[in-house]
Amino acid sequence: MSSVVSISQLAKYYQVPEREGGLKASIVSLFNRKYKNVKAVDGITFNVEAGEVVGFLGPNGAGKTTTLKMLSGLLHPTSGNVSVLGYEPRHRSHDYLRQITLVMGNRNQLTWDLPALDSFDLQRAVYGIPVDQFKRTRDEFIELLELKDLVNKPVRNLSLGERMKMEIVAALLHQPKVLFLDEPTIGLDVTMQRRIRSFIAEYNKRYNATVLLTSHYMADVEALCKRVIVIHHGRILFDGDLSKLVNQFSSYKTLSLSLHDPNVELSNYGEVVSKEDGRVTLRVPKAQTSQVTARLLSDLQVDDLTVEDAPVDDVIDQVFSQKEDA
Amino acid sequence: MNPFKLAWNYFRIGMMNELQYRVNFFIQLLQTGVALATGLIGLALVFDQVDNLAGWTRPELLAVMGVHILMGGVIRSAIQPNMERLMNDVLNGTLDFALTKPADAQALVSVREFRFWQLTDVLVGLVVIGVAVTQLQRGMEAMQVVAFIAALMMGAIMLYCVWLMVTSIAFWVIRVSEIVNLFEGLYAAGRWPVGVYPDWLRTGLTFLVPVAFAVTVPAEAMTNRLTSETMLFALGLTLLFLVLARVVWLFGLKSYSGASA
Repeated sequence: MSSVVSISQLAKYYQVPEREGGLKASIVSLFNRKYKNVKAVDGITFNVEAGEVVGFLGPNGAGKTTTLKMLSGLLHPTSGNVSVLGYEPRHRSHDYLRQITLVMGNRNQLTWDLPALDSFDLQRAVYGIPVDQFKRTRDEFIELLELKDLVNKPVRNLSLGERMKMEIVAALLHQPKVLFLDEPTIGLDVTMQRRIRSFIAEYNKRYNATVLLTSHYMADVEALCKRVIVIHHGRILFDGDLSKLVNQFSSYKTLSLSLHDPNVELSNYGEVVSKEDGRVTLRVPKAQTSQVTARLLSDLQVDDLTVEDAPVDDVIDQVFSQKEDA
Repeated sequence: MNPFKLAWNYFRIGMMNELQYRVNFFIQLLQTGVALATGLIGLALVFDQVDNLAGWTRPELLAVMGVHILMGGVIRSAIQPNMERLMNDVLNGTLDFALTKPADAQALVSVREFRFWQLTDVLVGLVVIGVAVTQLQRGMEAMQVVAFIAALMMGAIMLYCVWLMVTSIAFWVIRVSEIVNLFEGLYAAGRWPVGVYPDWLRTGLTFLVPVAFAVTVPAEAMTNRLTSETMLFALGLTLLFLVLARVVWLFGLKSYSGASA
């Protein structure tokens, strides 16, 4: 048993009251309530090894957050097994909770009217962190995220991005071994996202921490996670290397070319995606890539040509729409 | 972590937070002053008509009023803010942060907030009690003081338990903020000794919302009315409320983990 996280056949069903719209239906439902079983997570199985950074991908409602909540002990599974660091999360044993952390990008835990430093101190007290270790970790994080001038300002005066950095510092002060990050960069600008990403990567390296992260931003996942797990309707569609995901699901490649004569008609070579400053982007079925490239080079006067995999965002989109049809 | 250490740390934070807002102190002082004035006027009106109320003389009723103000301060500084935050946390999903901390969740949600300026009421309550004691002109013996403090503490614990049980309903029925108003209304009834009320109301004020134990019983301790039976009964009831509150809380938590999204 070397896996840090091990999940087998994990499921979570909810019963939600269901009724039609309108006053009459709502009165009827007072007395005769109909329930619908929602399968938020429907039998998923995977393991995560120590030090791995795994990205959870999936549209809203796919079951990502529910899975993270079961892992952090907030929700009890309907069936299946979860084990993290050898603990069963649902018991919420203090020894377990001391070794994990949960960050939710859209919710905060810092005291609004006080400087973040005071909230950090509270974390020290709650987790019982030895003072020396606490100061060392705190200062290390403050330096890494360049927060020195901000830690004395009341949290309410900080920008969204600055606040999120503080939230992450607060959540990691006890040096957890396992990090559950639910949309940690939601709503932040690109620079801020990058900072938080590199901080998470650094933390993962320094402490050999295991990270499970959900994000809507592909950039987060591309930068941090070698491995991704794609969930949809509570089931795992893909589990493996990010590069393999692209290979497996992408059915086309992107050709980008500069032409001597920018006004040539290209639609019979492939789907024209964009045309700017004399540079054209074409979408071509994967199987025909080499053939189309050869034709382009022989037919036209091409100054420059590159062939790229489809952007991961598009691939993911495609994965979900394919499965929707199936 | 030790709940008392936890409480102390949150108390420190709460104090730092409140000390930033000096204006709140003056507003609080004004509110307390108005409440005190209306209380005293009410008392004067009653004693214009009668010499005693259900066996309570004027200085004795002043003592009841003092305890009522003091306990009101305890509720508003320590109990109510925590319970309101708990309700909001359940509503907004931020309770998750409390539940992933390595501390007893009930202890944690019960000590996170502290409204320092509301202690004004505790001070004013003590002053009123002091005045009442001098007017009683028989002083208080050591045992009486001990009984008084014990009764106050048990009363505060019972109020906390009831409040926690009611707030735990938030796990099933998300909106319970109206209950705070109801509670305030019932607590207002504690301004008079529960003996003045008809039986049905007295029973309600004793067992449903233990205002009787929070206010009347400590006042009885001060005025030499308290029997050891009442004291033992109060002790038993306090323990019962503590157990009940724990059970309801754990049930609520279970429902939260079982169903919420």
